[in-house]
Order: sequence, then C-alpha cells, then structure tokens
Amino acid sequence: MGGQRMRSPLKRARGLGSARGGFEHWWMQRVTAVALIPLSLWLAASLIALTGRDYNTFVAWLKAPSVTVLMVLLLIALCRHMALGLRVVVEDYVHSNWAKIPAVVTIYWACFALAVVGIVATLRIAFDG
Amino acid sequence: MFIRSSDELPGVTVLRRFPVPRNFNVSADSRIERGKTWHAPSDATRVKKFEIYRYDPDSGQNPRIETYEVDLDTCGPMVLDALIAIKNDIDPTLTFRRSCREGVCGSCSMNIDGTNWLACTRFISDTAEPATIYPLNHLKVIKDLVPDLTQLFVQYSLIEPWLHTTTPEPEKERLQSPEDRGKVDGFYECILCFCCTSGCPSHWWNGDRFLGPAVLLQSYRWLIDSRDEATGDRLDDLEDPFRLYRCHTILNCTRTCPKQLNPGKAIAAIKKMIVQRRS
Amino acid sequence: MAHDKRPLSPDLQIYRPQLTSVLSISHRVTGIALSVGTLLLVSWLLAAAAGPQAYSTVQGVMHSWLGRVLLFGCTFSFFFHLCNGIRHLVWDAGYGFELRTIYVSGWTVVAASTALTVAAWFSSFVAME
Repeated sequence: MGGQRMRSPLKRARGLGSARGGFEHWWMQRVTAVALIPLSLWLAASLIALTGRDYNTFVAWLKAPSVTVLMVLLLIALCRHMALGLRVVVEDYVHSNWAKIPAVVTIYWACFALAVVGIVATLRIAFDG
Repeated sequence: MFIRSSDELPGVTVLRRFPVPRNFNVSADSRIERGKTWHAPSDATRVKKFEIYRYDPDSGQNPRIETYEVDLDTCGPMVLDALIAIKNDIDPTLTFRRSCREGVCGSCSMNIDGTNWLACTRFISDTAEPATIYPLNHLKVIKDLVPDLTQLFVQYSLIEPWLHTTTPEPEKERLQSPEDRGKVDGFYECILCFCCTSGCPSHWWNGDRFLGPAVLLQSYRWLIDSRDEATGDRLDDLEDPFRLYRCHTILNCTRTCPKQLNPGKAIAAIKKMIVQRRS
Repeated sequence: MAHDKRPLSPDLQIYRPQLTSVLSISHRVTGIALSVGTLLLVSWLLAAAAGPQAYSTVQGVMHSWLGRVLLFGCTFSFFFHLCNGIRHLVWDAGYGFELRTIYVSGWTVVAASTALTVAAWFSSFVAME
C-alpha cells in the first residue's frame, strides 16, 4: 500500500493508458438488442398463444421451419446479449482481477454453452420429435 | 413528476434514500455517528433545523451528524447563507468551501437533501425539514463539508483541456464560424463543481478508472471545437472500456447539474463519434 | 499518514432515489432476472426435447403457485427491460436527452411495461379457454 500512496495522482489516474477498445462490446450489445426487439416479442406472443396447449401442439408449432429458424436466431441473440450484459455487471462491481477475469470468461463460456444446448434441443424437437 | 429542468424540485418523495442499511458498504473509519444538537435561542421565531455532516481530522473520531437550529431572521435566503450564519454565530469550526456566492465558481457544491447542488443557489425554503447536508459523494473528506477533489481534477488534466494544433499559429486568430462556435455552447459553461461526477453511481464504483460526466463533458467540448486538430488522438484516449464505457446512461448527472448542462448528451455524442469513425 | 484515515463521504446510503437512477438499476435487475429466465427457457426446450413426460412435468411446475410467481416476475422483467431498452437505444442514437423527455419517456416505460404485463397475462388466460 505504501507504494500506491507515493505515486502521483496523475500516475494513478493515467493507469495503464487507454485500451483503445471497448467499442465492439458496446456495439454488439446494441446490435443484439435491436435483433431481440422483434424476436423476443415474437417469442412472447407465441408463448401466450401456446398457454395450456398440449405437447403435440407445441411440437407441431416448433417443427414449422420459420419457427425453428426464429427460435435458433433468438437463442443466439439472447445468449450473446446476456453474456455482454452480465460481463458489464461483473466489471462494474468486481474489482479484483483474480475474481473478475475468470468470472467474465466463465460467463462467456456458460452463455455459449447455454445457446448450444438450446439450439440442439430446438433442432432435435424440429427434426426428431 | 415530469421534471423540466434540473433546478426543479421533486414534487413527491416516495423514498428519501435507497433501501440499503445506513452503513452499507461503509468502512469502520467512515461510519457516521450522532453528534450534538445546537439549539436556537429561545426568542427565535423562524427556526430551521440543519443536519450537517461533520468530520474533524484532528480528533481521531468518526464523522458525525450535528443538528443546528438556525434563526432564519438572522441569515439570508440561501443554504450557503445559513452555513455562514452557523459559522459566524453558532459554531465557528464548521468548514466548507465557498467563494462567489452566486453560482458561478463551483466551490460550494455539496449534497443537500440527497442531491448534489450549489449551496449558494439553493433556497432554504426549498429544503426539507430538517435539511440534511453532506459533502459530495464517495470522496475522501478532508474536513466537514470539504472533499478531496484531487482525483477529479487530475482526471480533468488527463483529457488535456486545451487547444491541440499542429498548424502553425496564424497572424491573427484561428478562424471559427458562428455556427461552429455555437456547437461549443452548452459545454464550455461547466464550472467544474463536480456535482454530476460525485452523483454518478458508475463513478462511485469505478472512480479510479471511469472519467465521470464532468470530465467527459469537457472532453466533448474539445472534440467538437472546430479549431482543435487532435480529435483522433482525443478519441483514442477516450475509447476505453472504463474511461468512457462505464457510462451506462444512468443520467443522474443531467438531473443534478446546477448549471442546467447535459453531460449525458455529451457522452452519447462522444460514443456516436466513435461509431462514426469506425463506419 | 493522516490522508489514509480520511473517511469516505456517503454515496448510496444517502443519495436521493430519482427516476433516472431507479429506472437504471431496475434495468440492470430485470436484465439479471431475464438471465435466469433464459435458463428457464432453455430448460423448457430441453424438457420438450426429452419427451412428453418431461414436458408435462415442467408444465406442471410452471402452472404451480411458485411457477406462476416466477413467470409473472419474468413477464414484468421482460416488458420493462424491453421498453427501457428501446429508451436506451433512442439515447444511443443521440435523441431524448432533454430532462423533460427523460422524465416523460421514463414514466411511459413504467406505464407501458405494467400495461403490457397485465395484457400478456390477460391474453394468456383467454388463450387457455
């Protein structure tokens, strides 16, 4: 701690310099958000219409090619948006690099895995079920 | 309910503070204790209570809240007048920054009734009963209502707030059309009171790396100055996940600016410039 | 050094909640709630892929008391995050920063998400007939 105090305020403020990046994350968050507006509204409307329907109705609905495609697109956009959003939350509140960087990497992998699981499940229902 | 300008007071108070424990995330040194009450003389008719944050660095004790009963007939209409009356008549140890007393120097910025404003432009009649006065948020306190603004000013120096040119100086002035000069309006008027930066939750959590609304507003002032020739370098220095992109458009800054400036808008404009240069 | 002992002035403990900060933190909280919702969505797809028995188990849980509470929370979170997300996208385009617009759009988001949640649940009950 002693060394930190002896550094000038300017040194501490400058830190390691500008990363000259951060735009891609911000941009992808907005791109996925725009994609999610129609996709998520479509999902909400479909789920409402499917309330109380039996298994066969649901499978028949998901087998339709347009629905399968939309569901896959939704899962991709949703998991990407989720990963980016959760990353920002972790970066805001967790400051120790030892906790922050593994947490962010885990979030990225978990969201990717979640998307793959969802897509595989969708495709299985669409082609086998 | 529909605030038009930052000097408008909220109509209804649903919550005076977020529902967190009073000492949430507060270190032992910063815990605020109850201090004494200074009563007004018995013949005072218009008495107003002020609960003020006090901290004495020489005492070794924790900060405390002290209550002052002020006779409003003995002081002017502004909160700063009350503070000066307290210092003159009641407790001379009360310490605060002040200078112009007319809202142009930015010295007396503090947290009054939960929001940041200049004490010299806040009417006492517009405060709650009792009025609560704290120093600017999430800053090291030097004494009483005086926070350590070193980090904020050093972040300001980081953006190099002066004209960067490589073109040699012309014989007379560097030319600028009235339209271009107009683009700087709404940004050059900042008095660096830091009400916005100290009210930004992102700056609370990441103030060491996030530049904050005041500094970003000023960096935009230089970015859109048509005479400045280092726009690309300025954007390079700003484009950083923490320096710029910790701004999540919370907009506490625009809500609290005592000079009715719009840091949120400036930051959005900086982000748009970054989009533009990548398109 | 005396500088080390300087206390930190209070922030979240005393700052007044305003529409700006309250809607912003709600956007974050609903985002995190929707991350949990995405997990539920993918588990629902997995259950459907596993067969009619697994699907009806999940449906049973969703129609239980706890399931309905979770679903209601997810619905409100979804509509709030969607409406406030659109408000964010408008800001990112550079519009809507005047204080009056911030407040009008903010209250509109609150009203719209409540109305949409009620409408969605109402439609859902109607669809079940």
